[in-house]
Amino acid sequence: MSLSRFLSQVVPIRQKLYRFAYHLLGNEEDAHDITQDVMMKVWQQQERMAELENMEAWCMRIVRNLSLDRMKSKKYRRSENLDKAGEVAAVHQPSPHMATERQDVMNRVHTTIAELPEKYRTIIQLRDIDGYTYQEIAEILVIELSEVKVNLHRARKAVREKLQKLHVYGVQ
Amino acid sequence: MEYNKVRELLERYWEGESSLEDEALLRSFFAVEHSDLPADLLEAQPMFRYFNEEANRELPVLPELELPLVIKVRPLDHWMKYAAIFLIAVGLGYAARQFQLKQHRMDIVLAEKDTYDDPQKAFAATQKALQLLAKNLNKGTTKVQKLSYFNEATEKIKAD
Repeated sequence: MSLSRFLSQVVPIRQKLYRFAYHLLGNEEDAHDITQDVMMKVWQQQERMAELENMEAWCMRIVRNLSLDRMKSKKYRRSENLDKAGEVAAVHQPSPHMATERQDVMNRVHTTIAELPEKYRTIIQLRDIDGYTYQEIAEILVIELSEVKVNLHRARKAVREKLQKLHVYGVQ
Repeated sequence: MEYNKVRELLERYWEGESSLEDEALLRSFFAVEHSDLPADLLEAQPMFRYFNEEANRELPVLPELELPLVIKVRPLDHWMKYAAIFLIAVGLGYAARQFQLKQHRMDIVLAEKDTYDDPQKAFAATQKALQLLAKNLNKGTTKVQKLSYFNEATEKIKAD
């Protein structure tokens, strides 16, 4: 891979990679470290670049692998970080009461998704938040297209059931 | 958007069959307030609002790339490598030259070195060697003497 290809295809998606790492780890500092590591790793494996069709999917895959490694090595206390991450900005609310109520609902949804198994959590992140296509998700997670849909169906079903149990409904 | 249309989209969504466009429609539908939303639609609202907020969440912008990999590699960047190669070459050349000189000196020393430690023995050996030389030389003179007889005889015949 030439330097120009790295600069034109990898460097511009740094922020995306950072966002993905952040959602996996729930910590800005660690997400930043992981993004740096990914850039180094991609550069070191530049000879593989020629055979890659989707550079972004490959980079995202590296982000996920490195993030999972870090979570294992540090025995990550993800819940603590995510509690912090779950503080959704409560702005433009007509009243403090409604703002608090809405904040509470958002935090519950956040916790529900955060408690899912990693593969379900990641697939919801990639599809429902980051907006990747099924094909791209299959490439990032190195799974079949059919498996993407099955896992997504199961993940959404799990979230739906959990929220129903928690009686989390929309706030008017 | 009609509630029935939303229900249809939601059905596809829960099944994992919805397209990105379907999901974008659902997100924008739930992002705005709807009075008297039916219960089956109300249950999906928190999720889609959460997705919307997470997608729009502002994260700190990463600082400029800190990696050394964007530095263009120039030949002079490896000057230490070239200097090391040069020094090794000079070292090898010097070593080879020193070896040659040493070898040459040793040859001279060996040539100049005495064969015998005892002068008496050395004298005896030299004498013996010279005697052998003289003996061999004497062998030659007898033959030459015979030749001179022939020479004298030829001279006498010519004179007559």
